[in-house]
Amino acid sequence: MSYVKIEGVSKYFGSTKVLNNISLSIEEGEFITLLGPSGCGKSTLLRAIAGLNDLSSGDIYVGDKKITHLPSKDREVGMVFQSYALFPNLNVFQNIAFGLKMEKMDKEQYTVKVEEMVELIDLKGKENMYPGQLSGGQQQRVALARALIKKPKILLLDEPLSALDAQIRRTLRNEIRLIQRKLNMTTIFVTHDQEEALTISDRIFVMNHGDIEQEGGPRSIYTSPETEFVARFIGNYNVLKKSELETTGARLVSENELFAIRPEAISIFPLAKEGHNMDETINIICEAEVVMSTVLGNVMRFDMDVKGIGITVDALNESKIHWIKNGMTVQIAIPIEECKGLRIPS
Amino acid sequence: MARTGSSKSKIMLMALVPLLIWVFAFEIIPVFQMVVMSFQNSDGLGFTLDQYYKGLTTSLYLEAMKNSIVISINSSVAAMIIALFVAYSITRFTTGIRDQLLMVSNMMTNFAGVPLAFAYMILMGNNGALLLLLERMGVEAAGSFDLYSQTGVTQLYIYYQTPLAILLVYPIFYGIRTEWKEAASLLGASTWKFWRYIGIPVLLPGLLGTFSLLIANALGAYATAYALTGISFNLLTIRIAALVSGDIFPNFQLGSALAVILAIIMIFSLVVNELMLRWSRRRGT
Ligand SMILES: Nc1ncnc2c1ncn2[C@@H]1O[C@H](COP(=O)(O)OP(=O)(O)OP(=O)(O)O)[C@@H](O)[C@H]1O
Ligand SMILES: [Mg+2]
Repeated sequence: MSYVKIEGVSKYFGSTKVLNNISLSIEEGEFITLLGPSGCGKSTLLRAIAGLNDLSSGDIYVGDKKITHLPSKDREVGMVFQSYALFPNLNVFQNIAFGLKMEKMDKEQYTVKVEEMVELIDLKGKENMYPGQLSGGQQQRVALARALIKKPKILLLDEPLSALDAQIRRTLRNEIRLIQRKLNMTTIFVTHDQEEALTISDRIFVMNHGDIEQEGGPRSIYTSPETEFVARFIGNYNVLKKSELETTGARLVSENELFAIRPEAISIFPLAKEGHNMDETINIICEAEVVMSTVLGNVMRFDMDVKGIGITVDALNESKIHWIKNGMTVQIAIPIEECKGLRIPS
Repeated sequence: MARTGSSKSKIMLMALVPLLIWVFAFEIIPVFQMVVMSFQNSDGLGFTLDQYYKGLTTSLYLEAMKNSIVISINSSVAAMIIALFVAYSITRFTTGIRDQLLMVSNMMTNFAGVPLAFAYMILMGNNGALLLLLERMGVEAAGSFDLYSQTGVTQLYIYYQTPLAILLVYPIFYGIRTEWKEAASLLGASTWKFWRYIGIPVLLPGLLGTFSLLIANALGAYATAYALTGISFNLLTIRIAALVSGDIFPNFQLGSALAVILAIIMIFSLVVNELMLRWSRRRGT
């Protein structure tokens, strides 16, 4: 039984369609991510769940209750914004307590709860500070506590980490995940950063132009992209047409017209006859010219030219690949099972 | 290097000289002169507190002070309330309409003094076109309206204070971020509660600043009321003008003392404003 259900949701702004008949369902306590490029409609969907913008058609259910037309304040939904959106005239304590105060809870009662939250987000001793006196990461923790204190049915996070620098992003990302697990909070997280999505989520919905192109666990999304868009967005996949793949020497029996190959699945060998001992029945072996090599830290990226077709190969940056130089002709082996057929979205 | 640096800064200082001369000649010396004169007797001699004594005991002048203060506060409060609603709705328009409204407001801010007084006389004077029209239409109350009374003058003040208030209040509203409203509503706050706990406290310092500017603007105003009622409506600025330019008994010394008192009232209103500002910011920043 799914906890959050989104059924056939569409949204037009004027005559432009921003959400295209989207349906998805989420289990209780699940952490899902809406991943997609800028402008694909992630925020629009999230804000529709929060009741901050209305829908052109479709329905939203939370725990069997239809909330499509409920005002925001009655939805029992917590939200964290990219820009923190803390109230500048209230201190940390008052910001976190705001939701309970609106419920007319007594001060003694909510003080206990606020203190618990302050402890959870690790900001003890900073209760009397104002948002302007906190760092971005601290402000975002306060925003998280403020959203969680009312024990919402769903927690919505709209790119909560985008305004922070890389180091804090990673720590806060882990903390959000820990807190979410501890509270078993059903969470919808929005990001355009694929690494963030892959590390934090139970399940990912990859969005493009108002459609969900693919859904699945991080692993299956990464290793088995179903469309060209997902293949390009989620990794640095080589996307080749069937005809292109055949010029490399492949003899494929497959309906698909388009294939994706992970750059790290391809291996590189010297040109010498005995340069490799790969099984030619399960690998495509062909000659390639090294056009450019780039150091990406622990990985080396080689841009290769195979009979006019560009192919990217990633290899671990170890001393045993240091013989590979720009301009060289080498052999590459592409495992046939790594050529994933892609569906063309309608 | 150090030499060229210091000579450079000397040249820069030279550029300040015209400004300093200007400030000195047209601001500092006159104020100084005025203060000195306010302590002289009516023949411009000696040192005496007589002028202040006269200014603060004569009922004519006391009433002028009271009128000035009352009309300033009333017109500022009214202009402020109107501006709050108008400015907020301006922020909700598209940029095009917004710019046009602001332009109109800008023009109206400068529509004060004699032309404004005449416009009002034509519309709402004893034979004002608007009043006659209203009477014909059966609005009885229009007949009893007296433009040359305190109510009339207050209305004129409100008229020229409102556009200024709008211009000053409107940017303050941009300090309110939409996400605050959204966050508040998700936390269960109604629109009213949002304004009560977040919106107004955030706006307050800016609004108080605007209010004190309006007060000062009204306290110092002179031409509008003078054009409407001559010297018969008793305001401090009108009394001062009568004393320094009056044909019968000019008394520069008493005029100076009244001007100093007016300045003190203005400074007092600025100080009160500053205190309220501190109080309203006490929680924030
Ligand atoms: N109020 C609005 N009026 C008109 N168009 C809008 C409005 N809000 C969003 N859009 C459009 O809808 C599309 C989707 O916007 P949305 O904010 O959902 O994108 P997003 O996926 O969250 O992007 P980002 O990663 O940049 O935040 C965009 O093309 C945007 O221009
Ligand atoms: Mg967005």
